[in-house]
Amino acid sequence: MTLMNNIQEWILLLLIFGVISAIGNWIGYGILPLAAVPGMIVLILVSLAGLILQKLLKVNIPSVAYVALIGIIISLPGFPGSETVVRWTTEVNLLALATPILAYAGIAIGRSWTDFKKLGWRSVVVAMLVMVGTFLGSALIAELVLRMQGII
Amino acid sequence: MVEKGIWKDWRLHAIVFGLVILTEAIGTHQFSVGPGVILLLPMLYAMVIGLILFFTPVVKNKQSKNAEPLIVLGVTLLIAKIGVIIGPSIEGIIEAGPALLLQEFGNLGTIFLALPVAVFLGMKRESIGMTHSIAREPNVGLIMDKYGFNSPEGRGVMAIYIFGTVFGAIFLGLISGFLATITPLHPLSFAMASGVGSGSMMAAASGSLIAAFPALEQDIIAYAGASNLLSLSTGLYMSIFIGLPLTEKMYNALSKRKESKKNAVKKGA
Repeated sequence: MTLMNNIQEWILLLLIFGVISAIGNWIGYGILPLAAVPGMIVLILVSLAGLILQKLLKVNIPSVAYVALIGIIISLPGFPGSETVVRWTTEVNLLALATPILAYAGIAIGRSWTDFKKLGWRSVVVAMLVMVGTFLGSALIAELVLRMQGII
Repeated sequence: MVEKGIWKDWRLHAIVFGLVILTEAIGTHQFSVGPGVILLLPMLYAMVIGLILFFTPVVKNKQSKNAEPLIVLGVTLLIAKIGVIIGPSIEGIIEAGPALLLQEFGNLGTIFLALPVAVFLGMKRESIGMTHSIAREPNVGLIMDKYGFNSPEGRGVMAIYIFGTVFGAIFLGLISGFLATITPLHPLSFAMASGVGSGSMMAAASGSLIAAFPALEQDIIAYAGASNLLSLSTGLYMSIFIGLPLTEKMYNALSKRKESKKNAVKKGA
């Protein structure tokens, strides 16, 4: 599949995703879809640029790294137009983007359910502790350092 | 990465559209468990209902397959949003740089908490694969590469990977708000902890924090996002150079102690 085909498919899927989250953004967070459109378009363009960059530069870096970097750069204080970028994208709530992601994820993980059922209770206990351990471990160190620095 | 024509799967998009309308209309609910608070977010209902729908005729196998690339694209939008939040607060992020970098070592907490329990529950070398990290894709690759797909370590890492895929976001979403309200630790410390290296887990964990501490929204997103990017870029090396060797050493020590205890009991009896 050529890059052009890829780009076309990405644009269509990002637009579908954008429309769905703009409606969620309205219902859940009271932001009118029209107000969210400019910000959503900015986010779609940033995503698209990151996805294309990842294909063009044949370095083994995940596309989200490019997406994050582009997003950070265009919103840095002093970058031309950054205030507009920030003002527009503020109208797109982060949680409104997360809801459709997890809706798609719920539908997708159904196929892992058979594997999941095979896990015994011991594995489930250990899995939960793995998550708690990672989460609490990081929080504890962050707390310590942030306090030492006087940030919190 | 993306197969052609998934945008035409109107059935899939209509289901998600319906789920989003329904779950956002229900909104966030919270209930207290002792002194802590558990937050139920629209994204968590959406995931659970989506999973339930998979077992009904509404969702066919095709939809389930087509949904995967949309998670990837949705996460890029989420990361773009996080990027434009980090940009304006870059000074704060740099200031918090030492905490951000050092808390990555906290990911090793799994080894100290989960490994002893795994060994106690009678697991053998599976426990090494299970507890050396939070077992997202790069770590699954690492274990398969080092021990092989059919090794006990490989089975172990797959078990955690599967649990994380199915319940990781829901579980972290539930415990992050709870731990942040029940422990004396600051919400921003938990924000940094939310970046475990998976987009959906980070969204759920930081989402709960935002719902519990709305005044800190911008900082929570910036810290969680920055930490997630760090986890993505350093996580694998952390496992190769520290996590996995440490797990191996601790496993050997723990299983030896268990053996000698067993022998002692036998001799005693």
